[in-house]
Amino acid sequence: MVNTFSRSLSRKRIMSNDGMVIGTLKNILVDLESGQVVDLIVRPDPTFDVTGYRVDGDRLLIPFEAVKDIKDYIVVDRFLSKQ
Amino acid sequence: MKSQITDVLGLSVYTDRAVFVGDVDDVVIDLDRKTIRALALGNLNTDIIDIKGYKGLQIPFRMIRSIGDVILVRHMPGLFKQKAKA
Repeated sequence: MVNTFSRSLSRKRIMSNDGMVIGTLKNILVDLESGQVVDLIVRPDPTFDVTGYRVDGDRLLIPFEAVKDIKDYIVVDRFLSKQ
Repeated sequence: MKSQITDVLGLSVYTDRAVFVGDVDDVVIDLDRKTIRALALGNLNTDIIDIKGYKGLQIPFRMIRSIGDVILVRHMPGLFKQKAKA
């Protein structure tokens, strides 16, 4: 079981599992009633093509379901992250 | 209701008997279950908690009753020292 502190995640880089850097983590959306972690709020890199992703202003929303692993990078599944 | 995790940081934590416990320093996330596992507290009320050299305290998420302007947790008689009766 892997636990991590939310502050250690801030400003981590997000990478999809095909090796593309998506951007940097800005915040995390949680459901405080159930405790579920819902979404990652990501600031996309200027060169990253955001078509197909959920966009809120200049921020990108990536479902936490897509997260594969978190070490030096946050690796997300490139198909699940577009839902 | 969805909230940003930074909204939780810094909130004060009280038990349901209105005793101050501490302030939220950090949130512990369980990456496998994709849930909040615990809240890490700092600035603890040393009258009710003796942490013996540790820096802080983690409150499991299931102990939390509600989160609003402050956070309410269940009062656990074994966990928190009883206030001396006047």
